[in-house]
Amino acid sequence: MTQLAENLKAPLVELLLSVADDKLMLGHRNSDWTGLGPILEEDIAFSSLAQDEIAHAQILYELASEFDGRSTDVLAFGRDPTEFRCAEIVELPDDFDWAFALCRQFFCDHYDALRLGRMARSSYAPLAAIAARLAAEEQVHVDHADAWITRLGTGTEDSRTRIQAALDRLAPVAPMLHEPFEGYDELESAGIYPRPETDMFEAWSAALHAVTDAAGLTLTLTAPPASDTGGRRGRHSEHLAPLLDEMCEVFRLEPTAAW
Amino acid sequence: MSGSSNLGMHVDHGIEEDPEKLAEFQATIDARTLIEPDDWMPAAYRTGMLRMAEHHANSEIIGALPEGEWITRAPSLRRKLALTAKVQDEIGHGQMLYRVSQDLGKSRDQMLRDLITGRTKYHNVFNYPAPTWGDIAMIQWLIDGAAIMNQKTLADGAYGPYVRTMKRINMEEAFHFKSGEDMVLTLMTGTSSQRAMGQEAFDRWWYPSIMFHGPPDKPNTLQSPAMRWRMKTETNDSLRRRFVNRFAPAALDLGLKIHVVTKDADGMVTSRKPDEKLRLNPDSGDWEFTEPDWEEFFRVIRGNGPCNKKRLALRRLSYVQGRWVRNAIVHGSTALPNGGGR
Repeated sequence: MTQLAENLKAPLVELLLSVADDKLMLGHRNSDWTGLGPILEEDIAFSSLAQDEIAHAQILYELASEFDGRSTDVLAFGRDPTEFRCAEIVELPDDFDWAFALCRQFFCDHYDALRLGRMARSSYAPLAAIAARLAAEEQVHVDHADAWITRLGTGTEDSRTRIQAALDRLAPVAPMLHEPFEGYDELESAGIYPRPETDMFEAWSAALHAVTDAAGLTLTLTAPPASDTGGRRGRHSEHLAPLLDEMCEVFRLEPTAAW
Repeated sequence: MSGSSNLGMHVDHGIEEDPEKLAEFQATIDARTLIEPDDWMPAAYRTGMLRMAEHHANSEIIGALPEGEWITRAPSLRRKLALTAKVQDEIGHGQMLYRVSQDLGKSRDQMLRDLITGRTKYHNVFNYPAPTWGDIAMIQWLIDGAAIMNQKTLADGAYGPYVRTMKRINMEEAFHFKSGEDMVLTLMTGTSSQRAMGQEAFDRWWYPSIMFHGPPDKPNTLQSPAMRWRMKTETNDSLRRRFVNRFAPAALDLGLKIHVVTKDADGMVTSRKPDEKLRLNPDSGDWEFTEPDWEEFFRVIRGNGPCNKKRLALRRLSYVQGRWVRNAIVHGSTALPNGGGR
């Protein structure tokens, strides 16, 4: 299918923005580590992942732009905080704590891999084609995060304590990645965002546990409320507005100019 | 993004070398055969090359900082991606150059510790501030442009690993320069406030870019061991002349005005006036210009520039914050449950 029914356009934009906004904020936060990573080699790797996230966001905004009408840069830099659809976990500052940045990446990458896998099976061909491409790159992110969680989780007492502390801080927030966006059910029924083969939360939780259990780390995840209480509905933490103030500082000087 | 130009090219003559070996070494260099790490080399050459490669590596990872500050504020997705990739490249250059240095006999950790404790230096140009997006455009255009000029001459040097690294770095720097040129062009063909941002940034960076190639040459520069051994292949003044010949007319073409400026302690311009000496000398074919304030140059090198403390403090913080990760790699369990990933 390459034509979309009118009533599915808005839900599709909601889906695209939830994925793209998560990726933009995650890429934005992690790109800030470029030049400051713990090891030069990992600095370079982590920066490549951040670039992937931003590039994925850009591709998804392009598709959203076809229905929304605003340009990709206006979608990224020109919206009010309440128009963003990202989850709280990507809004949080990492306070220059690499364990926190890594664990956040771990939660988000596993969720993105599942989400992109679903999108790659979409009945809407343009979405399926994009998602299949992004899913392949996402798998590299998952492997990277898993390898580091394992290595640091089984490293020294210090590294283990730091990773455990970061997991403990993020575990209560991470499940809100699963909060349904507006129009989720319609998009699912129409096969645009096809029903998952297994329950998303369970699949996500199992993938995370496979890594943390093997590394001897503990992880407690509780399913998020199904109601519309968070970022997917534009209700954000206090961290989003300052993040946007920084990210959009130059853009807002001349919002209509070319930069 | 930078080279050896403001490294005092001091070569230690304290060690007596076998004259025959020394002559053979010089002959190898004169025949333009590359020196490789396992070849015999004078001790002074080894320490000189190590200092040069280490200084260059330090400059790359410190040079990442002023631009890195702007990754989170880049004004479009394209610029955000390009700037992140650019700063990442500089870290990659640092990594390559630390490896060249490691082969010459110093551990990476020792080099990083010497950098953050001020025992070794990095290029002076990174001690100036980048207060606006315009500065990022000017750094990528002027400073990367100057670096390419310098590094092309270094790629014609004698030490194999360094020469090969320079060639690879220069290819990447060419992208940075193109990106900088595009950013400057975008600003200078933009709105009046964008053009003003470009001009103000140019005023801040023109003189640091002229000083990029180091202080004026001493009279015996051409006879120095650094030149004889092709650690350097062109003098500071010659590089500077070529730089101004290329960039002064390019700046004027873009609608930029070339000013002589005074700055405060924070590196911000307090006054500016047109450079009255600026002209193309029809006889020599060279552009003439008002000399930089070399006293300022040496003041900044001694550690009293606008951003010396800030740059080193951030590098130090990064070193300390990342220590637990490095410790876990070195001292952690090697028996990874799943082989460290799939």
